[in-house]
Amino acid sequence: MNKHLANVNGWTIGAVLIIILLFLPNMSIVVGVFSPASDNWAHIKEFMLLNYIKSSLTLVLFTALFTIVIGLSLAWLIAQYHFPLRNFMKWALILPLSIPPFIGAYTYHGIINYTGVIQKTLRNHFEITPNPAYFDIMNVPGAIFIYTLFLFPYVYMITRIFLSHQAASLIESARTLGKGPWEIFFKIVLPISRVSIIGGASLVVLEVLNDYGVVKYFGIQTFSTAIFQTWFGLGDLESSIKLAASLMGIVIVILIIERLLRGGKQYSYSTTKVRPLPLVKLTGKKAFFATSYTLVIFSIAFLIPILQLCSWVILTFGKVPMGDVLLYTKNSVIVAGLGASLIIVCSLIVGNFSRVVNHKFAKVLPKLTVLGYSIPGVVVAVAVITTFIALDRLLAPVYQFWGLDSELVLSVSLFMLISAYVIRFFAIGYNSIEAGFDKIGTDFRDASRMLGAKSLRTFFKVDVPMMKGAIISGFILVFIDILKEIPLTLILRPFNYDTLATKAFQYASDEKIMEASQASLLIVGVSTIAIFVFHKLLREEPE
Amino acid sequence: MFMDIKNLQFSYPKSPLKTVDNFSFTVEKGEVISILGRSGSGKSTLLRLIAGLEMPVGGSLTLNGKKMFCNQTFLQPEKRGIGMVFQDYALFPHMSVEENILFGLSKMSRKDKKKRVQEVLELVELIGFEKRYPHQLSGGQQQRVALARAMAPEPELILLDEPFSNLDTDLQVKIRGDLRRILKKAKTTAIFVTHNENDAHALADRIVKIKDGKIDKIGRPCDLLGVSPTEIPGMVEITYDELVGVR
Repeated sequence: MNKHLANVNGWTIGAVLIIILLFLPNMSIVVGVFSPASDNWAHIKEFMLLNYIKSSLTLVLFTALFTIVIGLSLAWLIAQYHFPLRNFMKWALILPLSIPPFIGAYTYHGIINYTGVIQKTLRNHFEITPNPAYFDIMNVPGAIFIYTLFLFPYVYMITRIFLSHQAASLIESARTLGKGPWEIFFKIVLPISRVSIIGGASLVVLEVLNDYGVVKYFGIQTFSTAIFQTWFGLGDLESSIKLAASLMGIVIVILIIERLLRGGKQYSYSTTKVRPLPLVKLTGKKAFFATSYTLVIFSIAFLIPILQLCSWVILTFGKVPMGDVLLYTKNSVIVAGLGASLIIVCSLIVGNFSRVVNHKFAKVLPKLTVLGYSIPGVVVAVAVITTFIALDRLLAPVYQFWGLDSELVLSVSLFMLISAYVIRFFAIGYNSIEAGFDKIGTDFRDASRMLGAKSLRTFFKVDVPMMKGAIISGFILVFIDILKEIPLTLILRPFNYDTLATKAFQYASDEKIMEASQASLLIVGVSTIAIFVFHKLLREEPE
Repeated sequence: MFMDIKNLQFSYPKSPLKTVDNFSFTVEKGEVISILGRSGSGKSTLLRLIAGLEMPVGGSLTLNGKKMFCNQTFLQPEKRGIGMVFQDYALFPHMSVEENILFGLSKMSRKDKKKRVQEVLELVELIGFEKRYPHQLSGGQQQRVALARAMAPEPELILLDEPFSNLDTDLQVKIRGDLRRILKKAKTTAIFVTHNENDAHALADRIVKIKDGKIDKIGRPCDLLGVSPTEIPGMVEITYDELVGVR
């Protein structure tokens, strides 16, 4: 009998369909490379491309370096030592993630520009008028500073979890062999956490390449801004597809480098009972240093921008009509909620397929969907809109039949934006769901089937309730990401459809920084609550 | 004959070695069979093949006149009417004892379902534990719930995968006796897999020794292992008549 055919059922069909839909738009980019080049493209290739590559790589390289230094040092301090405020800092240091970099960028610009709080205080109270050039952060180093502040938690989070859960026996045996903390750090901690450091740093790199808000606001030419400009400025979709393809090429090279750096050294749990690393209590000067270091980072990366945003909200209270703000909030919650729900449903179908169908193809295929997350939002936007316009052309007779007088239906609907979110953030939800499936294994499913329950009943009665934690945390992660998302939403939203993020970005672009504060603070507030819930959820889940 | 396996073959993908190689075997109704073998001998795979959790490469299986699989057909596990007790019991952690047992009872009235739950709980001596959750039970109690859950839908055949491996030694001896009594009382046909000769000896009517996926020996416990059943530890609670007489 045909072994593979016997496994073809509703799950397989659904899963394969989802995976194809996730891939299709990206394929349109690859196809676009081979379309004939326009005059613009020749110009871009000759004069601009090298600059885009240079500035993008500079941003990526330095941000990665600084986030590793800050993230790793914090992870090591929190995982290994006890000092005043440590328990608070343990999760507070994740909070900078709730501030989207573009909001951080304009907030910091607002703090240190000519009319900002620092220069004003110096002028008014100390009668010092420093050269404003010293306070310019709207350049490449400034962007690196902003990215580092708001992206280091990726490295911190992943490395800390690794260190405090898996490194205990190694670090302890090093200690019994008479090694001091510095030696342990460089000879043990650094090498064994290599995989998690690279994992965190590659997330940072992908975020930087994806970013549109910061570079646009600071006026730095990178791939994201260039794709935007060629498309909307020059109206040249073909050239922007070619640019997108070049960026995709760079991302793929980075992903390959990441794999190579990891090598075969994937450390994993050797036993199911993971012993946490016992904490060493710091006292005196050392404790003071540890607390101050974490406090300084936390203040710069979270507290100060939040205070500034709060003070702007108070200053501008009533300037932005409350009704509008409520509408943007509603829109944000709707798109993020719809997107996250759809992603979780798709992840459950694909995850179950990958678990049930015992074939290499079923294990590898879902992993490839991670590519969607690696590919920057602007590229996904180009891909999705090309696909949807093609779809609309295809469906034109159907529209006519139904008596619709417009030729563009799908490509002006909210549906297009939601699909783009699903393509871009699928990997985030899927990772969480996959981990959930791994954790429960197949025994319960087999047991249920042996008791006569069909696949679907087993799924809803046994798998889904047991994976509640994974489902909720996956939903939260995707929800926050969509809430903060900028390029996709800006490009693909229906006419006049504004979310908190797009509104904050528009106000900031129009130099109405203060008016942007309300929407920004709402994004940060919702994300902070979500991160808090997520943190609690992870802690309460039994090992 | 009640169950008939013919030329059963199985190998994992990309493995040249056959995990189960040309396995043929028959079982009579009400018999308790033990499959004895070392780890890696293919005994658990054999059980999963009978259950329908793995798909064989070749061969056929008939249960009570119904084809479970052959060259043309493959009946899904939920349609086979076979019960299974898993090595780690696989009790659903989010359901109480009662809900776990009810899960397998679908085509019955509510009243009949409740009645059946009480019946099987009585059989495994766990009346009064209905509302408990799996984590509130001891290892031995969990195992009996797993057995009750598997027996509740009145399967034609019940499979047990290393039923004693998660219990401590004292408990093993007691449960072994209990298990045989429960199976015989319910007149259930059962196949259980073990690596422990004492377990096989104490429980089974017939033992199938397997090695490298092939049958090494088949026979009654006393023939195969050369010891009278009464001399086996843990048999004290069962009389000789009980052991060989019930068939």
